[in-house]
Formats: sequence, structure tokens, C-alpha cells
Amino acid sequence: MGGYLARRLAASAVTAFVASIAVFLIVRAVPGDVVAQMLGQVSDPQAAASLRGFLGLDQPVWIQYGRWISAALSGDLGISWTGGRAVGPAVFDAFLVTLEIGLLTLALATIVGVPLGIISGIYEGRWPDNLIQIFNLLGLAAPVFWTGLMLLVAVSSFAGWSPPLIYTSPTESLWENLSILMLPILSLGLLQAAAYSQFVRQNVVTSLNQDYVRTARAKGVTIRILFFKHILKNILIPLITFMGLVLVQILGGVVIVETLFSIPGLGRLLISAIETRDYPMLQGALLVVVVTAMAVNLIIDLLYSVIDPRVRLS
Amino acid sequence: MALTLASLPARAATADLYGPKAADAVKGGTLTFGSLVEPPGLDPYHQAADGRIRFTVLMYQGLFYESETGEAMPLLASGYEVSPDGLVYTIKLREGVKFHTGQPMTAKDVAYSYNYLRDPKNGSPGAGDLTLISSIDAVDDGTVRITLSKPNGALPMTLGNKYGGVVPAGYFDAADAKQAFNTKSVGTGPYKLAEFKPNSHLALVKNDAYWEEGAPYLDRINILFIPNSASLIVALRNKRVDLALLTRPQDIQQVVKAPGLVMERWPSLNQKALDLGSELSPLGDPRVRQAIALSIDKDEIMRASVGGYGKVIGTMVPAMQDAWGAPLDQLANQKVDIEKAKKLLAEAGHSNLNLTLTTINGYDWMDPAAVTMKQQLARAGINLNIQRVDLGVWIKNFQSKQMGFTFNDWATQPDPHLLFYRHFHKAPEGADFRNWNNAEASALLDQGLGETDQAKRKTIYVDFQKILADSVPTVMLFSADHVSVRNENVMNYQQHPTGWFFGLARAYIKK
Repeated sequence: MGGYLARRLAASAVTAFVASIAVFLIVRAVPGDVVAQMLGQVSDPQAAASLRGFLGLDQPVWIQYGRWISAALSGDLGISWTGGRAVGPAVFDAFLVTLEIGLLTLALATIVGVPLGIISGIYEGRWPDNLIQIFNLLGLAAPVFWTGLMLLVAVSSFAGWSPPLIYTSPTESLWENLSILMLPILSLGLLQAAAYSQFVRQNVVTSLNQDYVRTARAKGVTIRILFFKHILKNILIPLITFMGLVLVQILGGVVIVETLFSIPGLGRLLISAIETRDYPMLQGALLVVVVTAMAVNLIIDLLYSVIDPRVRLS
Repeated sequence: MALTLASLPARAATADLYGPKAADAVKGGTLTFGSLVEPPGLDPYHQAADGRIRFTVLMYQGLFYESETGEAMPLLASGYEVSPDGLVYTIKLREGVKFHTGQPMTAKDVAYSYNYLRDPKNGSPGAGDLTLISSIDAVDDGTVRITLSKPNGALPMTLGNKYGGVVPAGYFDAADAKQAFNTKSVGTGPYKLAEFKPNSHLALVKNDAYWEEGAPYLDRINILFIPNSASLIVALRNKRVDLALLTRPQDIQQVVKAPGLVMERWPSLNQKALDLGSELSPLGDPRVRQAIALSIDKDEIMRASVGGYGKVIGTMVPAMQDAWGAPLDQLANQKVDIEKAKKLLAEAGHSNLNLTLTTINGYDWMDPAAVTMKQQLARAGINLNIQRVDLGVWIKNFQSKQMGFTFNDWATQPDPHLLFYRHFHKAPEGADFRNWNNAEASALLDQGLGETDQAKRKTIYVDFQKILADSVPTVMLFSADHVSVRNENVMNYQQHPTGWFFGLARAYIKK
């Protein structure tokens, strides 16, 4: 286990290094002159040249990268070009907000989606299954921005209420925090719950048709015991894999709901950094996204061995 | 030295700064402002974005204020005199002005601030406007002397609030001075910075030591950054937001009849233009440019693209038309005349012209405008192709003077020199983005710059506008109104034509 972990971490470091180069180059491949954009269309050439020098943009790209990565390795992600604030703390604060949305959405999707999928699988072809399938189809078909907007408009028209617009952290006021995050989590969670439910249903149906299940049932094992002792264990591994995928998908959907509901998370930070061509902020935020996705994958691989002893991590 | 009193605007009374004061204003309370636009930072010296200027005018002040009618009115100055040769401005400072830090403002601070701003080494985008200044000195605590290398009739407006703002002398000595603007304000304005959280909100609190008697009225202004208009509209309807500016006609329609909300329209300095870069063949031929101008129905384009929330213009934006505009009936090529357009095109040998128009991603008005214009130009036998580009690409083309045939969307400060010179004067003095290279027009722009008498300046700029309309390097199509939507309890708010939020220093909330 220890050796496995060390090798995985080393591999991750290499991936992160390659990713950092990719991130650095992709950010610079966005069309348009960043200095011209910062100064506006009627800028003075002298001011532009001086700003270019100040930002280090007059240096070759590999020198710019060297400066950035060596500072990043010592924990300094630089200073935002537009806001003048430190990138590290800004990205960290935004990441915490996004992480909360991500985990709560995952929890909601799991709590709703897994039981629905199990019921649907067990009652395959009968009315509970049909009903749940309708929910799945609607959930999967509706884009997050649409669900979010409809929830916002519906709650506003029927209840005359809309979420507060200044973000409050859960440590300041949990109630206020949840009233802000409720609609975004709901709009993201419905989609993912549908995806979960569909996935779990498929696995349950497949398991129910396997030989060992038929044998057990022939021996008189009740469906409840059969389900909790055998089937659930068998679908846990694909479920964990799926959970990782869902979490990464949620990170993508967060860009939309954070913009729609004015939440200062990583998604909104990314969008505004792209709009203003704020390279340091964009690099920092993308790096965090990449590292998070890698961490999620690593955690999932480690979970395999916990759930299924046959999976050896050596 | 003989001094002559410069002609001060007739309305240069303190009461008119930032809009009228209210006799029965209710003091106190918090106003929540919803903004679709977010300032990338609050540094008034280095941050060029319009989204920054809109809000920092409440915290930082220059020597002059750009009045809504296009005059430069003394703000931190109390008056000024110009030497007969137009080279020396002696500016008296307002008394009793204190910085947000509590220390009194003196001429030393003013000289320091403007000297920092104009030094190209400091990298301010505002430096280019001040290159004619050869020195700025503090004469005594209450007097500043600005010496120019050439006369500049637009100097007072240039010393306004777009860039800089007076800060305590030595402010930039601190290594983190630029970043510190985002955490603490050091200006002289009616509001102080309480908190700035990017991607979330900006909070301003009343400056209790503000120099203007009895102003401002609100204790606190919370500015919420709401990046999409659907949420902003919901917030306005639910009274989570008291005041906002909307730009898309479909958004305005959604709140126009909502109970408890009041929609108001204000003239702006915005102009939506069609630019004709002479580098793109055959736009170098004035007859082709005139033919295009004669084929265009500005009113139809305005209605198609901003749903009527705007005003068709000739060569001057509505907020400056009275003070600086040429009368519309004196301008050529303003009315549709397809026959004349066809004749001009035939003369120029371009009867079946193919042109590609550039529009910019994210500028909602340009798409319907482009489609409408395609139909209009077709009547004169011009086939229009439409291509969309990203803003960054567009700016790069614009600055490298390769703009071609494109829509443009811009605003300025309310002075004709600042509006025209850089755009239309020949290179190298001006940027001449459209490769117009018009000697006669450039001579008039030089004359206007050197003249300090406002009446004479107007005559010069009217002549310039006649050439502009006749030769057509650009077609100024229309100006979009500022449309504000407020809770009916918000009183005395006026939207300044620049789009900057000076009006928040005069607004109050009715109990």
C-alpha cells in the first residue's frame, strides 16, 4: 500500500507538471492581446509597452513559465493582474465555496438517486420503474442553466423569494449559507440524481439476472438479504467509479450555477479571469481544477481496495 | 504675469456637482445596487476598465468634474486662471478637504498625484492624455500651477475623474500601494471603501468628513455583482436590489411594468458606430463611403437593435449635442438617398460591391443591427457578409489600424478634444485608427486643442464635424440610453451620461 501510494503520487506529480505546461500554454493561446484589452481601445502605445514590461510579457514564454512554476512550487501563485490581489488565497477561498456546493450536490444526488435506482431496478418494467424512468429522462434532458433559471423564476413568482446575493460562509451562518446554496444545489443535484438513478438501476437489473442470484433465490434467500448481502456489494465498485465521474461533472456544472446565482466560487472566478485575460488567476484556478480531478481519481482508486480486498494495490 | 480669468461654466455652482441636492432628503440607510459589470480592481491610476471608473468616482476626486452637459466644473479646485498665452493654469484649491485617512489635502498632494499620473514610468493609461504638461508645482498650500508646452483647451476636462484622483503625497512609496487600493480608499470622495470582494460585492460607507455640506445622504451602498441579467431582474422584482442599470431591451421590458419599480431613461455618451477603415479596398474611396452612409437608415437599425431605447445621432452623442454638436441639418449624408448612393458607386466603378462587416462577440446589439444593415445596403447593390470576432481580436485589429469595415461601440469623456483627437487626427500626433489621413480635419483638431475660449472651440469643432459627416470615416449611428430601474423608494438618483455613478452621491431612500 505504501509503495503503491508513493508510485501513484510520483505519477501524479509528473501529470501535474505536464498539466501545468498545458495550462500555461492554453491560457496564452486565448486570442486577443491581453495588454490591449486591459488598457482599452484608445490606449497609448507607450503605456502599453510599459505595462507589457511590468507584467513580464516582453520575455520569451519559457522564461515566463520558469518564473511562474518556480514561484508556484514555493506556494506563491502570483498576483492577479486585474484585481492586484494574491492568486493563492483568492483561489483557495473560491475553491472552498465550490467544494461545499460539490459535496452537498453529491450527497443530494446520492441520497435521492441511489434509492430511486434500486427501486427502479427491483421493480423493472412495473409502474414504480416507469415513474422513475420519467424522472430520469427529464433530469438528464434538462440543461443545468435551464433548471436553475426555472427554479429561480418559479420560487420568485410563487413564493416571492429569491436567494440572498451576498455570499455567507457556513461558519458565519449555516442557515444563511444554505438558503443561498439551496437552489444551485437543487438544480445541479436533480441532474446528477437522475444520472445516478439510471446507473444504479442498470447495475441492479444486471445483478438480479446473474446465476448466483438465481441460485440464492432458489435456495429461498429473501430479496432483502440477497440485496444487502450480495447485490449492493457488487455494485459498490462501479458506483464509486461513477461517483468520481459525477464529482468532476459537478465541477463543470458549477461554472453555470455560480454565474446564475452570483456565488463567488471557482467557476465564477474562472469565467471572470478568462474574460479579463487575467493569466495568473486563470493559471492558478485551472491548476487547482486539475489537481482536484487528480486527487478525486486517487481517492477512488484507494477506495477500491477498501471495498474489495481482491483489488491489490501493489 | 498678467492673468485673465478663464470663462467658467455658468452653472459652476457646488450645488450642481453630481446632480441637484435634495432639500428634504432622508439621511441614512443602505442602498443595494445591482451591477452586471464588475470592476477588475479599484486602482484609479492603473485600471482602465470602465467598470472600475463607474465606482471609483465615488471615492476619488480630481480637480474638475465632467458635468452632464459637457462642461468641466471645478471639483477639488475652487477656480482657476489661465495666462494669456494659454500655457499656465493657476488653480486655487477648495478649502477644508480631507482625505479618507483624516489628513487635510494640500497643493503638495495635488501636484504629487498628477505628477505620478503623467509620468510614463508609472504605467498609467491616463498618462498619454497629459503629455502636454511640462510641470506641476505647488505654489502654496492652496494653489497649484500647471505649465503646458502647448495650449490645451481640454485640460480641465482631462484633470477630471477618469484616471487618478488626488491621493496623499508619497502614497505610491509603499511597495503594495497598488494592491492597497482594493482594501482601503485614500481619496477625498463622498464614500469610503468598506469592503471589496471580487466576484461578490463592493461595500461603500459614507465619508463623515466629506467636504460638501450635508452630503451624501446614504450611510452605506452595497454594490452586488450579478453576472447575468435574469438573476438581476429577479432580484429587482424581489427588492433584493434597489437600483440597477439595464442594457438589453428584452430585460427592460420585463421590469417596465413591475409594481414598485420605476424605469428611467437618461442621455448617454455612448455611441454605436459603423467604422470604415480606409486600408480596406475600396473604402479608401470617399465616394464609396458616402454611398454607404446614404444607404443607411439609422433609425431602423436603432429600433432593431436596442428596441427604441436610444437616440439616432449625427456626429455627436446626445449628452454633448447642445454644448458641442453641429446642427443635424448642416451635416451631409444623414438622410437615406439610394439613387445618389448608386450613382456614387457607379462613378467609383463599384456597382456590385461585396463587403465583410465585423461584429464583436458579446455585443448583443450588433447582430440585429448587422442583419438590418445587410438589407439596407442590398438596396444600393452592396452585398454584405457578416463575421463575428472575439473582443480581444477586434481590439488588436483596431489598434494595428486594420479594423476594416466594422461596428464599434464606445464612449468618452464629455469634451470634443477627448472625443475626436486620438481617433481622427493624422498619425503620429493622433492614432487615426481608420487610416483617414485627413489634413483639413487634423488642422481643425489642432486649432481646437490650442483654443481655450469655449465659444470659439465650439465653432471649430462644428466645422470639424461637417468634414467628418461629408468624408465618412465613420458613421455614428445612434446612442443607447442609460436605462436605470429603481425601487420607488429610491429618490433623487440621476444617471450621469458617462455611465459613472456620480448620482449615488445624491440619492436617498424614502422611509
